[in-house]
Amino acid sequence: MAASESPCFEEIEIGTTLPRLEKGPFTTAHLMRWSAAMENWHRIHYDQPFTLAHEKLPGLLINGSLKQQFVVQLLKDWAGPNGWVWKVSFQFRAMNLVGETLWVWARVTGKRPGPGYGLVDLDIGIVNDKGIESTPGKATVAVPYRGGKPVPYPFVPPGINAP
Amino acid sequence: MSILPEAAKQYVGMKSEQEPGCEPVERGAVRRYAQAIMDENPVYSEPDAAARYGGAVAPPIFPMHMFRRPFGTPDPLQEHARDPDFDGLGAPRGLPEIEPLKGLSLLNGGSEIEFYRYARHGETVTQQSRYASITEKQTSKGPIVLVVIESEYRNGDGELLIKARRTHIRR
Repeated sequence: MAASESPCFEEIEIGTTLPRLEKGPFTTAHLMRWSAAMENWHRIHYDQPFTLAHEKLPGLLINGSLKQQFVVQLLKDWAGPNGWVWKVSFQFRAMNLVGETLWVWARVTGKRPGPGYGLVDLDIGIVNDKGIESTPGKATVAVPYRGGKPVPYPFVPPGINAP
Repeated sequence: MSILPEAAKQYVGMKSEQEPGCEPVERGAVRRYAQAIMDENPVYSEPDAAARYGGAVAPPIFPMHMFRRPFGTPDPLQEHARDPDFDGLGAPRGLPEIEPLKGLSLLNGGSEIEFYRYARHGETVTQQSRYASITEKQTSKGPIVLVVIESEYRNGDGELLIKARRTHIRR
């Protein structure tokens, strides 16, 4: 979907799967770049001897803080400029190691009308090239009604009167 | 067997000050961040593309990563340069470290994040956090401690950007 488009509430069907977002394969350089960008020097993302021998982990870990970005990116690009990603929650259930490719997915599980916009509930997650789910979670995205106004920015959640 | 000392539970409810990030949202920091997450969306660099947001913005989760080590504070890398057990993590900003859990490793268990607005280039961001709960859970691999931290991020005008609820796994 082009960045200029947003899906409208009426056209979204429960059970629809969003186009998956592919990231990777991840090298140690990718992880170092992220660690440097956020100034987080946790050794389990770049120091292999420490990670294996001291932390007893199977390899260098792809940062959870990096994986969460991809979930938000998928939803944000789908919501488009007239929608808004309101809530995202996820658990880091499995490790992802350097060398893996990740696919971020989302599936529509419900729809509810909101004040001037619609709310779409989704299941989300990240699977690797072995098909293992590492980051299951849920999200709620606000989208415009057909022919309606964009979702207000800044976002005004349901139940709160617009200023 | 319990790995959660009673003394650790006293940290529940402890709140940080409303503290500012080291710098306002910087264009260069945004570029490095956007390239690291491999999302070079024009709204992160071009004011025209981000007109709806009042100017170029930082990626959605960026405000949560603005709380780094301020100038003039102790350098954890140098302090631990001769400690082979040092995992590279410094003390977190804002909240006091939970001393009774100091010997346990830390893993990121997950988060719930609510978004209200983006941080624009040039804006300051503040963070205020509290320990919402500290509980023990038995798992097939032994006991773990779950530390839940709630945080709010606001811009310089006090407007809410993000609410987050993070879970740290200690074991």
